[in-house]
Amino acid sequence: MSAVFDASQPPFDRLTEAEIEFLQNAVDVEYFPPGATVAAAGQPCANLHVVLKGAIEERDGDEVVAILGPRDAFDSRAVVQGTMTRSFLAREESLIYQLPRDAVMTLVGKNDRFGAYFYLDISRKLDEIVRADEEARFGTLMRTHVRDLFIHPAHFIDSKDTIEAAGHKMRDINSNALFVRDGARVGVITGMNLSKAVVLKRMSIDEAVAPVTNYDVVTIAPDDFVFSALIAMTKHNKRRLAVKEGERWVGILEDIDVLSFLAGNSQLTAGRIDRASGIADLAVAAADVNEQVRRLRRQGVKADVISEIVSDLNRRLFTRTFEFTAHQDLRERACLVVMGSEGRGEQTLRTDQDNGLILSESVPETMLQEFRDSFTQALESFGFEPCPGGVMVKNPLWSRPLADYVADFRSWIALPQPESHMNVAIFYDAAAVAGRAELLHEAKTALIEMVRGERAYLAHFARAVDAFPSPIGFFRNIITTEGAGDALDLKKGGTFPIVHGVRSLALEHGLHETHTVARIARLVELNVLKAEFGRELTQAFQYLMSMRLDSALSKTPGTSSLTKPAELSSMDRELLRDAFGVVKQFREIIRRHFNLGVF
Amino acid sequence: MIPRWAKRLFHQVSIGDQSYRFMFEKGPPDEFVAIDCETTGLDRKKDEIITIAAVKIRGDRILTSERFVRLARPESAMAADAIKVHHLRQADVEAGERLYDVWPEFLHFVGGRPLVGYFLEFDVAMIDRNVLRFIGIELPNPMIEVSELYYERKYGDAPPGTECDLTFRAILKDLGLPTLSQHDAFNDALMTAMMFVALRDLKRRGVRIERKRDGPRVDLAH
Repeated sequence: MSAVFDASQPPFDRLTEAEIEFLQNAVDVEYFPPGATVAAAGQPCANLHVVLKGAIEERDGDEVVAILGPRDAFDSRAVVQGTMTRSFLAREESLIYQLPRDAVMTLVGKNDRFGAYFYLDISRKLDEIVRADEEARFGTLMRTHVRDLFIHPAHFIDSKDTIEAAGHKMRDINSNALFVRDGARVGVITGMNLSKAVVLKRMSIDEAVAPVTNYDVVTIAPDDFVFSALIAMTKHNKRRLAVKEGERWVGILEDIDVLSFLAGNSQLTAGRIDRASGIADLAVAAADVNEQVRRLRRQGVKADVISEIVSDLNRRLFTRTFEFTAHQDLRERACLVVMGSEGRGEQTLRTDQDNGLILSESVPETMLQEFRDSFTQALESFGFEPCPGGVMVKNPLWSRPLADYVADFRSWIALPQPESHMNVAIFYDAAAVAGRAELLHEAKTALIEMVRGERAYLAHFARAVDAFPSPIGFFRNIITTEGAGDALDLKKGGTFPIVHGVRSLALEHGLHETHTVARIARLVELNVLKAEFGRELTQAFQYLMSMRLDSALSKTPGTSSLTKPAELSSMDRELLRDAFGVVKQFREIIRRHFNLGVF
Repeated sequence: MIPRWAKRLFHQVSIGDQSYRFMFEKGPPDEFVAIDCETTGLDRKKDEIITIAAVKIRGDRILTSERFVRLARPESAMAADAIKVHHLRQADVEAGERLYDVWPEFLHFVGGRPLVGYFLEFDVAMIDRNVLRFIGIELPNPMIEVSELYYERKYGDAPPGTECDLTFRAILKDLGLPTLSQHDAFNDALMTAMMFVALRDLKRRGVRIERKRDGPRVDLAH
């Protein structure tokens, strides 16, 4: 059969051969002279229009909001809703494919991926699915199965059971919906159905549930994709779907659970941590933290906001773990700290542990060892990798009395070895998460006092900003030396010099802030950095952090800070160049400030 | 040669099968049928129709959803030339219906509507030979030749001696119409229908097609 209509363009490329044939037999072609109305706002929507030739003006009232050209389809929203909300006028001689709305809706009902184009449009997600990179963006939504979501387990009552019995059952199982068996039929009854029956229909609570049961049940299989569930809910206007595997009723999927999956619900995870009654509960919540990062990022939440949320969740996790694993006597004599990026609150995806314990005085060794073991074991069960440098509570060097730490500071500063610089850097970034926070404050004050005025030491410390070469060459070219020579390391060339340069200036000025961005703000207040440059540095830092997060989310672990410029959009490459330009400038400032030329 | 109007009158009276009287009645207002045939060759006496396609036009709307496309088996073997042009092999054509079965359906589809075509006279001659044989009439429908509409819009006011290009391709180009794969009876009928609605609109609005030494004008997408 001859093809009238070019079905290779989205969303028609999702149709099967038979469905395309069906459409080919339903399509007409209409000619519109300049100025003619193709479809008017307020009129019933009779067709989905696709421009074959010419140009169409989309108008909202008198205002032209878009010009549509060949292959553009309009108006998918009107097709679903039945009424045109915008007017469409021919701007020049135009030929338009007219796909009857009935035919389109038939296909929407048959083909979920095709339907997704129309339904997701309404929730403003259409644009993303139409783009060529739909897999990348919608990957999780496309690949996650219904069985991966929370499903309320199936509980049955009989259609002859009373409204009262149904109500009690719902309370007992803590669910708002039950399956109702009526011979071979299966229906669903909800708390709302019960309330309406009693309040609005004035039924007695002794009556059977049968008349208020909804037998028009929309089912979905555990193997179906989450987006199919979303579409089914939208299409059938249902808040619940019955999950059915073959002949077996698995349970009920509620819209709120689909939405919380889509939205990323960090409050939910926080609540789970707070309500945990033991380490096992915490492990479940911990597993959710990394998934939150993906969800939040998918929603376009900025990397700095994500690290704030994740740091908060991780700190709650540590606080609770400390409560569960530390003896009361220990808790009263210790401060649990997180260090490094965790301490700065710049953690996004979970890295390795960086934590320690500061004691106010010596405690019995057995009690301390018991805590070290159980705390370490708990963190490992949450999936925190041990720190390769041994900066962990488990290591006696990082779980000891305050006085011992202060004694060590002296040797770290007197003998500036790379390792001692690292220790200072890690400790200076520490943040208290549980126990007596004043112990950390005291330790840091001691550290700050010791380096005050020690220009030579501070210069030594700051030198690490030059540890890695800048990836910016002549003419602002990005130099790629990492990976297979086509990648660059965002951490070495970008975030590390910023973090460390800022840390050096902060230490010199005795700041107690740990966030890099907060330190920059304080340094601007103290006139160490110019306000203008402080802003640029903050932006560059946040941009590089979000790039790191994106590449970490999309790539294999271990290569998380590598990015391949060739894979970036031209806008991202431009921004990356700008960010590295700022980093280069900042290194210059640090070099001059600490007079690093002498080395 | 007997004029068409005289034949029309004669057939109206002499029609063998009275059930085809509707062919002589006026079709629905503002409706047309664009047609195209693919044939085994260009000899209207000896060659046969291989495929026949027709599409209705209602006002400015081309009713591709109500198209008529039939493969018909020619009684004589296909000329090798025709195979080259239409890419239809003998085997494809044998899968088609016999012409005898095709004509009643075709006549019912067309009814009294005016026919629209490019080089329509040839198509009608080929059809007439068959229809006359089976039903005892020739097509009585009014005929609209798109190349004439095009000539009028482009060369109607041209000084004598102007060189005219009335090829199918030239018309498509001037009107800025998409070129569907050609020598497929349905695509040709569809493109002819597009030419018709576009040319009719130009005439309605009094817009002429510009003549230039080289290159098209009054593009649909100017």
